[in-house]
Amino acid sequence: MSALKRWLVALPLVVAPALLLAAGGPIKLATLAPAGTTWHKALLDMGNTWKNDTAGRVTLTVYAGGTQGDESTIIKKMRPETDQLQASFLTAAGLAELDESFNIFALPFFFESDAEEMAVEKKLTPILEQKLQAKGYHLLSWGTGGWVQVFSKKPLRTLADVKKAKLFTSKGAEKWVDWYVKNGFQPVALLPADIPTQMKLNPGLMDTAPIPPYLALSLQLYKDAKYMLDLHVAPLTGALIISTAAWNRIGAEDRPKVTAAAQALEKRVRAEAPALDATSVKSMTERGLQVITLDAKAAAEFRAAANQLTSTMRGSMVPAEVFDMAVQERDALRKSKSK
Amino acid sequence: MLKAFAIQTENRIASLALGGIMVLPLAEIASRRLFGTAITGSGPLAANLTLWLGMLGAAIAARDGKLLTLATAEFLPKGPVSAVAHVVSGAIGALICTILALGGAALVRSDRMAGDHVTAGLATWVADLALPIGFGLIALRLVWRASPLWYGRAVALVGIVAGVLLNQHRAILENQSVLPWFGMVIVAGVLGAPIFALLGGIALFASLTQGSPPIVLAIMAYQELTTSTGIAAIPLFTFAGFLMAEGQSSERLLRLFRAWVGWAPGGTAIAAATLCAFFTLFTGGSGVTILVLGGLLLPALMGDGYRERFSIGLLTASGSLGLLFPLSLPLMLYGIVSQKASIEDLFIGGLLPGLLMLGLLAMLGVREGLLTRAERRPFRLSEALWALWEAKWELFLPVFVLGAFLGGVATLVESAPLAALYALIMQRYIHRDLPAWKDVLRVAADCVALVGGVLLILAVAAGLTDYLVYTEVPTRLVEWSQTHIHSRLVFLLALNVFLLLVGTVMDIFSAIVVVVPLILPLAEVYGIDYVHLGIIFVANLELGFLHPPLGLNLLLASVRFKKPVLEVTWATLPMLGILAIGVLLITYVPWLTLGLLHWLGRGQ
Repeated sequence: MSALKRWLVALPLVVAPALLLAAGGPIKLATLAPAGTTWHKALLDMGNTWKNDTAGRVTLTVYAGGTQGDESTIIKKMRPETDQLQASFLTAAGLAELDESFNIFALPFFFESDAEEMAVEKKLTPILEQKLQAKGYHLLSWGTGGWVQVFSKKPLRTLADVKKAKLFTSKGAEKWVDWYVKNGFQPVALLPADIPTQMKLNPGLMDTAPIPPYLALSLQLYKDAKYMLDLHVAPLTGALIISTAAWNRIGAEDRPKVTAAAQALEKRVRAEAPALDATSVKSMTERGLQVITLDAKAAAEFRAAANQLTSTMRGSMVPAEVFDMAVQERDALRKSKSK
Repeated sequence: MLKAFAIQTENRIASLALGGIMVLPLAEIASRRLFGTAITGSGPLAANLTLWLGMLGAAIAARDGKLLTLATAEFLPKGPVSAVAHVVSGAIGALICTILALGGAALVRSDRMAGDHVTAGLATWVADLALPIGFGLIALRLVWRASPLWYGRAVALVGIVAGVLLNQHRAILENQSVLPWFGMVIVAGVLGAPIFALLGGIALFASLTQGSPPIVLAIMAYQELTTSTGIAAIPLFTFAGFLMAEGQSSERLLRLFRAWVGWAPGGTAIAAATLCAFFTLFTGGSGVTILVLGGLLLPALMGDGYRERFSIGLLTASGSLGLLFPLSLPLMLYGIVSQKASIEDLFIGGLLPGLLMLGLLAMLGVREGLLTRAERRPFRLSEALWALWEAKWELFLPVFVLGAFLGGVATLVESAPLAALYALIMQRYIHRDLPAWKDVLRVAADCVALVGGVLLILAVAAGLTDYLVYTEVPTRLVEWSQTHIHSRLVFLLALNVFLLLVGTVMDIFSAIVVVVPLILPLAEVYGIDYVHLGIIFVANLELGFLHPPLGLNLLLASVRFKKPVLEVTWATLPMLGILAIGVLLITYVPWLTLGLLHWLGRGQ
């Protein structure tokens, strides 16, 4: 190879990364959150902030509503060898595909309040950040989609009632199905798209579904599943992550700006999610949904039984050390509150 | 000897995968009924078997020269021109396929490094192997079939070498114009390269020129064939259709429909159209109806005194008539892809439009019957009842499937294996049309080759869709039409024309996968009901099957009836005209679709 040729081959190798470093690069982000929702709008606004604050060096394209595929496809597209997507706003279920520790946020009846969830989130952030780092991702911020509630065709009042119900479970989430079965539930593994259909049928394959209220409203689930057990099943925790490769391409002076905007997004969805839950439930009750609230005694019984249940996830669904840290943090908060 | 063994082994493996996707969900239904719970891992396993079934089936189709192609190559003069066209299209097809195979191999490596699992004990990368193996085999077979001469094959082999080199140096394509590559792909398609290579090639070069590696296409192919359980319904309903097509089911049904409507003017024509509609339900409009029923129905019509031209036109048009009725695969696929309309609502919405299309064709039949004084059979109650009794098992199949769904035994998608099982038991044990398991395997092998071709197209079409969404074409389409199209009616008219064009150049399944995501945001802007949109879609694509010069039914009818494509086209023109009126009615009278839904208190 002549010197000239060698130089020509080497030139792009030298110049390209330098250009990329300077550019920060366009970030393409995918999420399952549907277009037009609170989360989608928050992401778009965050993109605008990125663009303005970095003088256009970092730009964001958002693909909402799962148009870039389901969460496991999104993750594949974020790997360095693909680099089709650089960021994503994933649910705990998607994050758990990267590391099972994230299952802690999806455990049914583990958390009682936003405060508990946030405390555990804060406590676990360093260790989860590390685990993500090891897989090639950088945690930008957390997010939330409100709380999952139990919608059912028959009124449910006790844990025994819930166990008797034909409970929707996501098809493909094998470990969850197993866990439900072992603990005496009757899970029916179906696709989310089956929920409204099966609720309409009599008898359907399932009669009870844990889903967030805004989704129940938009699916018009309240027409068939007329009861909601107001017993915050689990928060819909999510996180905004960026691939390490893309993170490294962003200039050092821009990174704090990018992080700041991501954290503003976290704050915003934190504030908006509870309001969205409340208005969704309100407009459904206006259309005939009955909300069942447990009295203090029944609730306490429910929680005690639920604690028993969630402890069986230690080690199998969630790594033991992470589980223990979470329990410790949560119980500490509960104790300080009860004082 | 060795070759026969290899062929048989390949057929058996693919048939085994077909058996797997049938048995696993059935076991799941049974376990749910008996033990109140699901079987761990059966869902993901069945889904990955669908991937293997698709890729191996496609490889078998490539081996037997059964991959779907455009009709254009039919017009090439035989001799040296067509021989050269074969080699050129084979080489370009092999080039595209090679890069897709290498993309598959990259996915295998990527998933292996990530250490993902499909389910306990099955690593994702093992499942992924279907992609490089399938595409690799197809590339080799495209080369092999490019020419009967070793010289021709050697030339076609250049395609594979070029594919490997191009993949290695794909960086040189980045930010280059995509047009010459599109030109090359389209030329190959016109010269007879398979449709999947045409769609895959467009997706591939579009991706490469904007810097996306071919692994992205493999990721999308994997997702398309594995995550949507609905996809598994395609091979299973097709299998049910193939089983019924073997033996006497079509005769029994023809006798039934004739006994009930044969007294009317055009009775046999109506009976033939109805029978075609019934069969198309299961075969999903892939044109199998014409191939399977043509041989029975053409002599039946002509024997009763219908003119040949009319008969050919009628059967060509009837070949895609069932697509709007419940259980129709394209409607299911629309429901799955759009995620906006429920499949049941689509089925209910499609009833009146389906009957309208059938009625319009029946009117042509009546007219023809009166004109030619074709034979009419007096109505005899005893014969009618006897024919009904004889065909009871066939007629009960849709009832059984819908009953399982409405009775809460299975979801609609899960009802596909029930349909296949039902057809299998009926043909193997009740009618004994398939006297031995050997015959069942033969039918399975035929089915697998056809289905593989369809699934392969779906897999690469998903890559094309992904590219379009990635480059934000839907968003731009919405912006463009909002500034240029101000009325709903104009939008609908534009949609009609667009879909007709799509329907002529694409098969119905890939058309739905690629185009629905583009149109959905537009439909939202113009306030079109998603169920109505689905029915408009399928009705238009149904029409596209008959539209010259590329309509698939025209080609298949030409093959089946051994008539030139032009003659078939000419014979089909009246049907095309009257069905076009039907499509316009369906488009501009939403009540046809939504009336029944609203009456039942469903829909939005």
